[in-house]
Amino acid sequence: MFFAVGAYTTANLYLKLQISPWLAALPAAAAAAIVAVLLAWPVFRLRGPFFAIATMAFTEVLLALALYFDTITGGARGLSIPFRAGFANMIFRDRLSWALVMLGFLALCLFTLVAITRSRLGYFLQAVRDNEAAAEAAGIDVLRTKLAGIAASAALTGIGGTLFLMSVRVVDPMALFSLFDIGVKIALIALIGGIGTLYGPLLGALLVVPLENLLRAEVGARLPGGNLIVLGLILMLTARFFRHGLMGGLATLARRVTRGVR
Amino acid sequence: MSALLQVDGVAKRFGGLRAVDRISFDVATGELVSIIGPNGAGKTTLFNLLTGQLVPSAGEIRFDGHDIAHLPPHRRARLGFGRTFQISQTLTSLSVLENAMIGAFLHHPALTRASAKAMTALDLVGLAPRARDRAGALTLGERRRLEVARALALEPRIVLLDEVMAGLNQTEVQELIDLVLRLNAGGLTFLVIEHNLKVVRAFSHRVIVLNRGAMLAEGTAASVLDDPAVIEAYVGRRRE
Repeated sequence: MFFAVGAYTTANLYLKLQISPWLAALPAAAAAAIVAVLLAWPVFRLRGPFFAIATMAFTEVLLALALYFDTITGGARGLSIPFRAGFANMIFRDRLSWALVMLGFLALCLFTLVAITRSRLGYFLQAVRDNEAAAEAAGIDVLRTKLAGIAASAALTGIGGTLFLMSVRVVDPMALFSLFDIGVKIALIALIGGIGTLYGPLLGALLVVPLENLLRAEVGARLPGGNLIVLGLILMLTARFFRHGLMGGLATLARRVTRGVR
Repeated sequence: MSALLQVDGVAKRFGGLRAVDRISFDVATGELVSIIGPNGAGKTTLFNLLTGQLVPSAGEIRFDGHDIAHLPPHRRARLGFGRTFQISQTLTSLSVLENAMIGAFLHHPALTRASAKAMTALDLVGLAPRARDRAGALTLGERRRLEVARALALEPRIVLLDEVMAGLNQTEVQELIDLVLRLNAGGLTFLVIEHNLKVVRAFSHRVIVLNRGAMLAEGTAASVLDDPAVIEAYVGRRRE
């Protein structure tokens, strides 16, 4: 959802006002954060499965809205960005430049996360995740903390939407809101890598994305859908044996090794 | 002594059940008041009304003159409420120091100040040597003391303890009693829910007895615990 908001914001600013995507990334981040807070306000009052259902429902609602408001989104045909290579347009001929931009974005994300983790907000978020009642008793406004967390996350996702838009140069609602490709894949990467750890999702992405391509070529070619079955099995196995993802497993291992040395 | 906490006709109904039925009492600054009663007497409901976990169906709760009956827990914390939980609620993924810091942030947003304040609170409860350990690695007794430290880091004006002694061994109970007495001697007000009558006798200035949601007796520990009505509520009537 926030990905799409970021992509559409940038697309409109670039196509209609000729604002460079580099600059448009900022309003894209802001718009994504605002949408996130507006949606999260009611949804955070729900719990467990209702929370999940409401989140998915909002994706569908936004999809319907995106199809309807075609002056902003180009409707079902989507928007395409004309190819005009140049640094200011964030359009590159060579792949290396793209890789550098993406690495820069990765650095920005990690930097932001490290900064948040070491701030008061980071402690508050961890406290709220661990135990809401205890967090409240310690004077933490749980709703506000959650909203701040999701706003920060959506802002980064919004910038991600900008980069996605400029790299593929065509966005249509079906691609942006497709639950599996974006929503579920991101969740899969985080789950396998390790939720609640800084580098877990990074590790997850490094493993899951190549693995997925390999599976699609090797297994999916022989048995259609077989690659998804294998991926599902891997997810189940990590959930069973590494409750905190691969990163959590590594941390436990490291603790055991250091204890052994002592 | 002025009343710090005033509970005035507070009631809580769950459907047809009157869990707490028009209870009124005051707690003065510097006092140490215990609330006791048999299981199902409404102690925990009353406690949750005081901490903001529940909203009363009727009545007023005033803290330092302000009506707080409808304030959420985090706003009460800001006014000066510190609390512990019946089932220990340490934040297990954080270190001992970080657990206390979560409380200290309330009045000290800066990381270094919060950490210094948290360290002072840990020192008070005797957990300073374990500051760097994971909170999950603590024993139950240590977790209880950590919760007290987190509450103290809030710089509270009143601390509400919800059966902090439950599940602790003799030594740990004695350590906690000493800690509460020490803090109380320093001027901190306590409202304590306690099952263990020996503990209640050991430190309460005043005891409030609940039974079936209503107040059964109020007075000094000695007078209340010898009251035939209280004994009857606890152990039942002698068969004639």
